[in-house]
Amino acid sequence: MMAIIEVNELVKEFKVKKKKKGLRGAILNLFYAEKMIVRAVDNISFDIKQGEIVGYIGPNGAGKSTTVKMMSGILHPTSGSVMIDGISPQSNRKKVVAQLGVVFGQRTQLYWDLRLGESFELLKRIYNIDHKTYKKNLDLMDKVLKINTIINRPVRQLSLGQRMRGDLAAAMLHSPKILFLDEPTIGLDIEAKHSVRNFIRQINRELGITVILTTHDLDDVQQLCNRLIVINDGKKIEDGPLDILIDKMAPYRLLVVDMNEENTDFSHEAAQIIKTEGQRVWYRFEKNKITASQLISELSKKYAIKDISVEEPDIEEAIREIYKLTYCRL
Amino acid sequence: MSSNVKYHLSVSSCFARMAIQRQLEYPSFLVSWLLMIPIQYFAGILMLKVIVEKFQALNGWTFPQLAFVYGLGLLSHGLMVVLFIQSWNIGGMVRHGEFDRMLLRPANVFFQFAVMHINFIGLIDLIPGVIIFLYGCDLAGFHLGPINIIKLLLVVVGGALIRGAFFIITGSIAFWTKSSESLVGFSLNLMQRSAMYPLSIYPYIIQMVLTFIIPFGFICFYPACDFLGQNDRIMLPLDFVGWTPLVGGAMFVLANKLFNMGLKNYESSGS
Repeated sequence: MMAIIEVNELVKEFKVKKKKKGLRGAILNLFYAEKMIVRAVDNISFDIKQGEIVGYIGPNGAGKSTTVKMMSGILHPTSGSVMIDGISPQSNRKKVVAQLGVVFGQRTQLYWDLRLGESFELLKRIYNIDHKTYKKNLDLMDKVLKINTIINRPVRQLSLGQRMRGDLAAAMLHSPKILFLDEPTIGLDIEAKHSVRNFIRQINRELGITVILTTHDLDDVQQLCNRLIVINDGKKIEDGPLDILIDKMAPYRLLVVDMNEENTDFSHEAAQIIKTEGQRVWYRFEKNKITASQLISELSKKYAIKDISVEEPDIEEAIREIYKLTYCRL
Repeated sequence: MSSNVKYHLSVSSCFARMAIQRQLEYPSFLVSWLLMIPIQYFAGILMLKVIVEKFQALNGWTFPQLAFVYGLGLLSHGLMVVLFIQSWNIGGMVRHGEFDRMLLRPANVFFQFAVMHINFIGLIDLIPGVIIFLYGCDLAGFHLGPINIIKLLLVVVGGALIRGAFFIITGSIAFWTKSSESLVGFSLNLMQRSAMYPLSIYPYIIQMVLTFIIPFGFICFYPACDFLGQNDRIMLPLDFVGWTPLVGGAMFVLANKLFNMGLKNYESSGS
């Protein structure tokens, strides 16, 4: 299938003035300020196919938002190109943005003092949405986000979770093909996060909408994304399915065993004991070297075992490993 | 073509309706303006009256004529405040990344910016404007017939365009410098002083500047000369009131060009 988003050697540089500190510095800055060029996005390329849900993750200041802003035509790249469905948002902005829904978790596009429905009415006119489509999409949004329960309330009276539902619905009114969600679950409670994730799953499955999601919440990633793109310091570091990334970055698993005997030495050559607590022992093993069942059968031959559990590697740990690696490289 | 016009009308009327609804959410706020603004302008015209009566006519301009010019100036000022007050805040909008949302919508950004806000409070500026202008008409013996009313409308709309375009031009500098607030106060003062008093009280060189470089003379001085038959000015074929909307239109086109150039330089904000 053809890629719906093509990002090619994308670079964005910002000029920042190096400010000196203190009052003396402030006065000196007036006359002479050293200019520095910062590469917020440094030669990033990737393709995204229609119908994918891609997690775009990285630490704060990694360049996530800058990339999203270039993909949606807000910023012009210093070099490189973006193609959305074969069209560049820089040369034909209006045509591209008509296909996009964009939600910034930290900033709403809804009118604070007016009822939610008024903001929808404005969008209906700006996007030139015909009445039938508008009605159909509102019905759908009521099904997925229960939008009718809040549509007549002023936006300033909505809770953060309700406001996010409003923002998501607003981004869907013009039937976009692609949704950019910049930290859509930030600051939300468990219930609200659940409904946001549910929304993403449903519109992806039922309407085939491509979703690019930036987030710091790894539960979002785990529950939603079939693919992860990890960036740090403006560079792409990893790109691939979640389980492969975890295997690569965190190849260890934990086996927790409750022994039924007193012994000082429970060692095994293929696993490393990282903790003992009474008769409970934690083994760490690399799953490419030995499988869990193999380890268990070998241990049970040597020792009397009461109970066993295997702990999956933590995605959080995997991601931390990735970030850590790049910090070392810097 | 007509569907295009219909689209822009439909979007701008929706923006206008929402802006008015938004301001009516806080009605007590309106009351304070309702007290403050008329006092400010009535005091201004009273000052003028005192000066002219105690000392002398300004370069051949009598108080009735001055009141006419002052009132005419307030009318286009009020209309500008109603339509284009958002241009006073381009600097803030640039720093806070508020053009992001407009760039994400499939409509011209300058159009969205121009129609995004209708300032209800500007109508309050129009109250003293209308009163002082009618008073000036009466004193100066200016007859408000149908032709004169059409001419006046052209002048007021053209004057508001000149003012609005100038604020957009100075505001657009913020796309490069990130801040243009100081220019707002400067522009407001410059307009006040050069539009509301007869240009002919200033030295020749300043009259030239205010005609050809910063064409504030067209906001109300030149049309007032035409309306009142005053000939004390630079002699140019300028006494046709049609010049005001023409200059206003031209400046608006220029403002649009500069705004679009600036927008290419727009860097959004943090996250």
